[in-house]
Amino acid sequence: MMHVSPTDAVRTAQGKGPTRRALAKQETRAKVLDAARRLFSEHGYEGATIRDIATAAGMSTGAVFANFADKADLFQEIMSTDMGELSGLMASAAAEEDGVEDALGAMLAAGYSFYQAQLPLVRAAFSASFALHSSTTRRTAPGTATICDLILQQLERGVAAGQLRSDADLQLRSEMIFDAYLANFSRAFRHALDADTLAERARVQVEIILASARTA
Amino acid sequence: MNEPAELERENSPPAPLGRLTGRQTQKAATRGRVLEAARELFVTQGYHGATIREIARHAGVSVGTVFTSFASKGDILSEVMESRLEALYRELDQVVPYLRGSTVDRLRSLYAIFFAFEMQHVRLFMTHIAAAYDWTLPVTAKPYGRNQRVLQMINDCLVNGIRDGDVDPNCDIWATTDLLTAAYAWCFRWAASNGTDAAGLTEQMDSRILLIAKGFTPRGG
Repeated sequence: MMHVSPTDAVRTAQGKGPTRRALAKQETRAKVLDAARRLFSEHGYEGATIRDIATAAGMSTGAVFANFADKADLFQEIMSTDMGELSGLMASAAAEEDGVEDALGAMLAAGYSFYQAQLPLVRAAFSASFALHSSTTRRTAPGTATICDLILQQLERGVAAGQLRSDADLQLRSEMIFDAYLANFSRAFRHALDADTLAERARVQVEIILASARTA
Repeated sequence: MNEPAELERENSPPAPLGRLTGRQTQKAATRGRVLEAARELFVTQGYHGATIREIARHAGVSVGTVFTSFASKGDILSEVMESRLEALYRELDQVVPYLRGSTVDRLRSLYAIFFAFEMQHVRLFMTHIAAAYDWTLPVTAKPYGRNQRVLQMINDCLVNGIRDGDVDPNCDIWATTDLLTAAYAWCFRWAASNGTDAAGLTEQMDSRILLIAKGFTPRGG
């Protein structure tokens, strides 16, 4: 794990419960994260400055930097919190379906409806993930590896269930499904498509990508 | 409200140089300087790093002057991209009518042409893709994936395939076009992090085209 959550840090640092100082620090972090989430949503990644975030959280820039290395770190923390929640939702949506297309369809639909409620934030995430500086790209891409893995797991499950051929190129297919999933977002930003429409599109795309991998 | 600068320019045929008023000449020159400065900054700083303020500074004009010619940063980028595309369009117009072979072969040829053309500008193209996720863009801007001419070309290729019998008539043409467009964008991200040449990229794209093609090939075909 790249990040030790503040709660864990507090717990492990103290055998018998957090000190008052650790609690205060945790509270400060939460306040900064709240303010940052709001400002990233309103102004995008580039538009929200550490100074604005500090002001909104009611503290000094120094206090923000005492808790987070930089803006990318702050953004990454918000994204990884969301990612944890989202990957749980996606995995359980997929688990409820038996067919591999249905499972993937349900999974991606869960992704679209999760972000539907906070499109501005995810726009900020995607646009930051295409930024040229590779360190930013790696750190702010919204859970790229996790979603790719989840997709791949579903494909493997499809092979195990005899729905997909065992010699099908699953890696390439998982990447392509992930790309299609992402690309649909850019369309949503432009045309204000709802989560259901996006899910329908993704479902058709999944079928095309899996057509040649099906056993029957 | 003034007409958007781009429309104005497209509608009026270029006047012979001698007949331009001093003011028009100056305006065109300023515009050119802004575009040149912007292009350079998009390449070195990326879409987000290149601010209007920086673009103005590099072009040696005020921020206000930039805004008299362009509605937004996205519009500047669109114009930078479009002005390069004229050369690509000319090449495509010459080649496309003579493309032969299966739909897969024709798609592969088309994308090989795109790659050969864009390889010199991977970083610029990445900024173009990044702009597709910028929700502040006005409708006049054309980030990646909104180029109707390129989309239509891919679409036509698939429609012709249905006519020729190697594309399933039930195939969802636009979903397939979207998949190809997403795959193409992926190749550039891959190129930016792995560094490759047009041949390497074409190979990556080919494996994706072949896979998508299996999805639209008529059953039993």
